[in-house]
Amino acid sequence: MAQQTRVRSLDDPDVFVESPATIYDAVPPYPPRTEREAEFYHLRDGEMLINLGPQHPSTHGVLRVVLKIDGERVVDLDPVIGYLHRGVEKICENGTWHHAISNCDPLEYVASMFSEAMPVLACEKLLDLQVPRRAEYIRVLAWELNRIASHALFMGWLSLDLGGLTPILYGFIERDEIVEMLNALTGQRVLFNYLRIGGVNGDLNHDFMSRLGDWMSHAAEQVENQTKLINENEIFVGRTRGLGVVDRATALRMCATGPVLRATGIPYDIRRAHPYSVYNELEFDVPTREEGDSYARYLVHVDEIKQSIHIIDQVLHQMPDGTVMAKIPRWIRPRPGRAWVSIESPRGQYGAYVMSDGSDHPFRMRIRDPSFFNLSLVGHLMPGNLIADTMAIMASLDPVMGGIDK
Amino acid sequence: MSVLARPWSRLTPAGKVVLPLLGLLVFLTLALLVGFATGLIPGLIRFVGDLLGANIGIVRFVVAASAILLMSVPTAFVIIYMELKVIALMNLRLGPNRVGPWGSLHSIVHGLKVLGKEDFTPTGVDVPVFTLAPAVTFLAPVLGLLVLPFAPGLLGIDMNLALLYFFAVSGLSVLGLMMAGWSSFNKYSLLGGLRAAAQIISYEIPLTLAVVGVIMLAGTMSLNQIVMNQSGSILDWYMFKQPLGFVIFFIAATAEGNRTPFDLTEADSELVAGFATEYSGMRFGFFFFAEYVGVFILSALTTVLFLGGWNAPFDIDPVLNALGIRFDLALDLARLDVGLLFLLALGPVVGTLLIALPIWMLRSDWSFLKSLVIGFILLNVLLAAAVGVWLALSFEAVVGLGWFLVKTYFFVFLFVWMRATLPRVRIDQLMGFAWKWMLPASLVNLFVTALAIIVVSEVR
Amino acid sequence: MDLPGKGIFRGMALTLQKFFEPKVTVQYPEEQHDGGPKGRGRLILLYDEYGALKCETCFQCAQACPIEIIDMGGVDTKGRYHVHWGPPEQYAERREDSALRRSGRPVPDQSFVAYEAIDTAPLDRILADVDYDPRQMLTILERTQEAYGYLPIAAFRHISSTTGAWYAEVHGIAAALEHLRVEPPGGHVVGICRCPNCTLMGGGRLREALEAELETVIGGTSPDGRVRLVAESCHGESRLRPHLTVDGADQDDTTPAGATSLARRLRGHSRGRAQA
Repeated sequence: MAQQTRVRSLDDPDVFVESPATIYDAVPPYPPRTEREAEFYHLRDGEMLINLGPQHPSTHGVLRVVLKIDGERVVDLDPVIGYLHRGVEKICENGTWHHAISNCDPLEYVASMFSEAMPVLACEKLLDLQVPRRAEYIRVLAWELNRIASHALFMGWLSLDLGGLTPILYGFIERDEIVEMLNALTGQRVLFNYLRIGGVNGDLNHDFMSRLGDWMSHAAEQVENQTKLINENEIFVGRTRGLGVVDRATALRMCATGPVLRATGIPYDIRRAHPYSVYNELEFDVPTREEGDSYARYLVHVDEIKQSIHIIDQVLHQMPDGTVMAKIPRWIRPRPGRAWVSIESPRGQYGAYVMSDGSDHPFRMRIRDPSFFNLSLVGHLMPGNLIADTMAIMASLDPVMGGIDK
Repeated sequence: MSVLARPWSRLTPAGKVVLPLLGLLVFLTLALLVGFATGLIPGLIRFVGDLLGANIGIVRFVVAASAILLMSVPTAFVIIYMELKVIALMNLRLGPNRVGPWGSLHSIVHGLKVLGKEDFTPTGVDVPVFTLAPAVTFLAPVLGLLVLPFAPGLLGIDMNLALLYFFAVSGLSVLGLMMAGWSSFNKYSLLGGLRAAAQIISYEIPLTLAVVGVIMLAGTMSLNQIVMNQSGSILDWYMFKQPLGFVIFFIAATAEGNRTPFDLTEADSELVAGFATEYSGMRFGFFFFAEYVGVFILSALTTVLFLGGWNAPFDIDPVLNALGIRFDLALDLARLDVGLLFLLALGPVVGTLLIALPIWMLRSDWSFLKSLVIGFILLNVLLAAAVGVWLALSFEAVVGLGWFLVKTYFFVFLFVWMRATLPRVRIDQLMGFAWKWMLPASLVNLFVTALAIIVVSEVR
Repeated sequence: MDLPGKGIFRGMALTLQKFFEPKVTVQYPEEQHDGGPKGRGRLILLYDEYGALKCETCFQCAQACPIEIIDMGGVDTKGRYHVHWGPPEQYAERREDSALRRSGRPVPDQSFVAYEAIDTAPLDRILADVDYDPRQMLTILERTQEAYGYLPIAAFRHISSTTGAWYAEVHGIAAALEHLRVEPPGGHVVGICRCPNCTLMGGGRLREALEAELETVIGGTSPDGRVRLVAESCHGESRLRPHLTVDGADQDDTTPAGATSLARRLRGHSRGRAQA
């Protein structure tokens, strides 16, 4: 890699000077500090390092991956994360329980209804609080709508990273309808800040219900359109089938959850395995596929959208009357203790382990983000594939960098 | 200096334009007067005329090349606008809609913007190669335009090896892409350039082999002659005699023009912008134009080879005769006599008023002046349409050009449509498809065509 | 067995169908959707029908804000105290005071002490003379100063409300001109000449000594309000010493030490620094 280059001098453009070779050298100038570094930065003949991200058009968010490639083939890779790190868990510990809700919101910025549930559910567990049933049903409704919004976007991103321009826009049309609907319900489009300790912020209103009715009438048709566009497309199938195959053992060992795990044939869904809220009263399937490749992950997402529409249908029929907020003290001070809560987010198991010391703020908070565990599969999946496949694999794992970097 | 500078600075901006023009006019008048008085200018004209007449081939080439070069940029503008608009409409968006009616001037503004941008040469690039690459890339499709027969008699050069020349010249574009990829000093560019080389060279083979069937049927490589061979009914088009060849040719042309689903060289989700990553300003614009002119020439070549070029798909005269409609197009303006004078003087005024008055009466919120302006524009549109109809009915070249452009832009639309729908293939699938499917299929097509020709000639 | 390319053709048929369907784009600047009844997109302060702010400065929003982006200040409901929520640095406030405020106890603010009322009869006469013309502000202010000896804050308020000039405009004119003063004149007036002759004779040292002792600069009043230091002109009459007057009387001892003792005498040893 190291080579001397003649460049124009900055002082006098007519003069050419020898540039230091290290400017363009991807290999760091210091001696390797670990065995892994020594292995990664030792380039055999024909290999080169190429820097993917954090501003590359198809790394979702600000993920940076240093790829070692041999021609078009990826030999090795080194993901670099942390560009979005804010220390959300520590920020939550410095505010009150109510503050933690809106601080956890942007973790999963594509489906923030799930990440903001973490402090809420944990605090309710510590308070031994009985949430009104109507509030639970509204929560399930909001979660499932948000899941569809997130999955619709996933389908678009996957084909955009494969070069298709149109599905992402159809996905955004779908998402925009849902997001406008949730705007009518919660007052915000992206970071909802809707769940409250002991219920939700505000009952269903007419604006929301009319939009929901409109959307339900053509939701299934829109999913059909999406699938008609790319599901059987030979190029799409050829690009994704057999690509990035995860077997069950690896998926379990790497703590993968959500559609990534279900695409390998393990029907593990928190909504079924450890039912929370009112999911044990609702009827739905856990879609699985056996192949474990990118195409299977895509199909699991499609099936989950259909199941979510089914759940919303049931929720609307079974919605009880009543209040949407429990009676809670103005100053929330849960008992001292620890709580582990987890829910099924669009990307897998979203969990939080929270300690309380009896004061009005969480003493310790640790959030388990599924994107992080799913993304760590790239080390297994990418080597041996082509550069173009890295995008497809990364998109099919569907990471959200807000939760990964926290 | 200030003697001139001070009055000059007092001129208005318009005056600064008009005054030099007036000076030029006076100077030219004087020069012409003196020239004709001394007999210098007629002699010069005679000399130049003799010179040009003696080298008519060179003159023809220069005129054709200039016309082609001038034509290529508006063509690219139209196709860029079409691409933006069609993809937007297919995505349920509106697309360009701010500049001009329905955003139709958008791509012109686009071109101006590209001109106004900084022409940046990054550190470490191979400067001469880096500078030359866009020109080479742009030149290849433009040179290809030189042999395309647009209409009967309307073609740059009627070469008898036109097809060979076309493939030779359009193969140059890969050179430009490789130059850009190599000289940019960027790994993404390098990958893009190498992909371009692999892809275009692989797809040249099925592209050329698919055409060989047509050459065998036509017995010539002159594009003009190939089009003439297809005249007659719609069934004479080679699309129906060479269906496999047509499909292979179209797919290979998609790859040759770096269009989706084969736009691997500038795969924006993988290689940022491929070979063009480090380019900015008009240098990037050259790549941009080259791509769209390339789309045009590939569509045009498909039209010429398989869709009968400027031949109409059906003959309109029998239909008109059957309906009893006859046009007497021989306008004899002299018959109008003094009426012609009245027509020229009053025609525009009366026509404008005739259109403007109903508009003004119907649209109560419009001022009369606005109605007049709209009326004048509508009158011009109507007159232009009338003139167009007259031209189309009286000159064969115009109607031929019309059919040619309709067919060509159908293929351009097809390219854009494919781009709106399809994802991109992978490089190994691309190469596998070329060598495992396209090449054998084109060889089969070749043998079947040869066999058919022999069988048919034996039967006869 | 599907035909090869069937999926591709289905997709292309779909996009062609969408080509003719109505579009969903919202042309934003021309066509604006409101945020809905619950929209929380932007923090705004609401006004009631009389044009007064509806905010009662209860600080509940600032208290609840998780990222402490809300930062507000105002006057309490009885118009006595300036209260605020937010970082103390923004209000030139000590941290202890800020802590007091945050605890909810009222803390008096010097800048909100009510101004003293004045008898506005002479001011009204002056204003009637100039026909309440705000363009003659300089005349008004000068004659007001003649009448009252200085320009009281209440006079600014009265001039502003009767002539229609902005308060800030009136105050700005008064503050910009050196001969107009907003505080009551001190008991003694110490004049010092600043002509080149006097300066050459040692006027600069004299001025330094006086300014140090009186703790003010030329044109100002000493902090206890007893002595005012002004610039005068000797009209070329000083002889071999700088020109120095006390209440108009010429002074003989014009050395810096003499001036120091003079100033000390005039202030009546009321300075903190003299005892130290």
